[in-house]
Amino acid sequence: MQTVQRGADSTIRRPFGFAPRSFGVWTVVGAVLVVVPQVIHDSFVLDVLILAGLYVGFALTYDLTVGYVGSLSLAHPAFFGIGAYVTGLLATKLHTPILVNLIAAAVLAALFAVAVGIPSFRLSEYSFAVGTLGFATVGQVVAQNWIDVTDGPLCVTNIPKPAIFVTIDSLPAFYYLMTAAAVLILLFMHRLIGSRIGRSFKAVRENEVMAESVGINPLKYKMLAFSLGAAGAAGIGTLYAYFIGIVCPTDLALTGTLTLLVILFIGGSGSLRGVVLGAILVTALPEFLRIGDQWRLLLYGVALLLIINFLPNGLEGLFHRRSRT
Amino acid sequence: MILQVERLAKSFFGLNVLNHISLSVAEHELLSIIGPNGSGKTTLFNVISGHLRPDGGTVTFAGADITGQPAHRIAVRGISRTFQDVRLFASLSVMDNLLLAVQQHQEDNLLGRFFQSRSVAAHERVAVERTREMLALINLEQYADFPAGQLSYGQRKLLQFGLAIIPDPSLLLLDEPAAAVNPTMINTIKQRIVDFNKQDKTVVLIEHNMDVVMDISHRILVMDYGEVIAEGPPEAIRHNPLVLEAYFGR
Repeated sequence: MQTVQRGADSTIRRPFGFAPRSFGVWTVVGAVLVVVPQVIHDSFVLDVLILAGLYVGFALTYDLTVGYVGSLSLAHPAFFGIGAYVTGLLATKLHTPILVNLIAAAVLAALFAVAVGIPSFRLSEYSFAVGTLGFATVGQVVAQNWIDVTDGPLCVTNIPKPAIFVTIDSLPAFYYLMTAAAVLILLFMHRLIGSRIGRSFKAVRENEVMAESVGINPLKYKMLAFSLGAAGAAGIGTLYAYFIGIVCPTDLALTGTLTLLVILFIGGSGSLRGVVLGAILVTALPEFLRIGDQWRLLLYGVALLLIINFLPNGLEGLFHRRSRT
Repeated sequence: MILQVERLAKSFFGLNVLNHISLSVAEHELLSIIGPNGSGKTTLFNVISGHLRPDGGTVTFAGADITGQPAHRIAVRGISRTFQDVRLFASLSVMDNLLLAVQQHQEDNLLGRFFQSRSVAAHERVAVERTREMLALINLEQYADFPAGQLSYGQRKLLQFGLAIIPDPSLLLLDEPAAAVNPTMINTIKQRIVDFNKQDKTVVLIEHNMDVVMDISHRILVMDYGEVIAEGPPEAIRHNPLVLEAYFGR
């Protein structure tokens, strides 16, 4: 009898692609995440950790479209920007609480995703990439030039600190907020990808024609992934606006997409574990390489090249190698 | 009649691939469609199954007009098909491939699927049970967790056949299931087709392997240049001069 090979993308044996081997490991991870701000008081390190949490959530929501239904979206920073601007404007002009702003941002971004996604997906994969690129470009132009609303290049400033039972105005408090958001997004993805919906996402990614012939409506699942991803990105944009306290048109820049794509390449697209590790590495590495002074960007580039060369499936490939040995 | 095709037309760049073709398939029939390469057989399947929109004509399935409907809707109505080039969800496990095919026919809403409602969990159990039965039927039990793309060609053909029959369709369209498969596997596939047909199911088969066609078909329909040039029982088709001419020329 042939040995059953590991590595199949199965939702039966490996329900969520992130199967916890034991409660112990996750208890330790959870405890470390809780304890960090109690033992680390360096504001630079906390800043980096907050950014890492932000990028974990941002990249996970991006991977829903790119990694799970296999469509290249270039609009993710635009949805992030919508979230940041909605929050900035509501918080400064109407003084609405964080929960209201979060919901408003997510709903508006999802509606934009539906408006952009339906016509773009109907044509071809290329038209979807171009359509989302157009949306991202227009989004930045609007943020830059609709001065009456967005204050254009002067940015939306003086965004008040949010309150969830207590005012979140310190680095440790923001660390907990961002970590909680990243963990919630991870758990949500965990559940979604392990469900029948996640299986249908993967079917659409693998072979759209075949998916249709077994009764899956590809447009429905692509739209679901794209709009959920957009809502998630807007939610992350909300937290970013509160953390930074200022929202500018450059927050919608297309370079954000490049960072996200690097995270997916480095971590391993279509893997929750890979994307989490990729987001942490890509966010933290350039910051900690500052010790290399003017060599830091070179060192960062070399490190990325080495990962791509030796781990073509990203950091996720490390786990597959280990399971094979 | 379970399937009726009336004056179906489809052309690509001015070439009439389906030339106002009409045909009908009776319930529980095992009909084979043969014809030289390029005669329009696969295009006919693509139009019936909704993967291509016709330029004219109608397709009626179980009394309902399904002309031009999207493929996923036609699949849910009860028409399953296989492809000439084996198509699977390559990186997914064999088990997940089959689950995907069976679960699209279970009616659950999206929220229920996300929260694993009681009815969804019950459906999941039924689907897993059905999948295990299918794995046994197509002799792939030991490969349940194996990535579908890493099976041998013959095993992939069997899996594709399993994907087509697991939703228990009323009409099964098989596009060259015996192509490039070893004789032992051909016999297995042939037997599975006959067994499926005996469960009061209708099968339409496109095949170049004449042994298979002559062995199992109730009726054979011959296509050339997008038209039906002959039809009848296997013995009549075997000696039909029009058929010999279409295959070998004058």
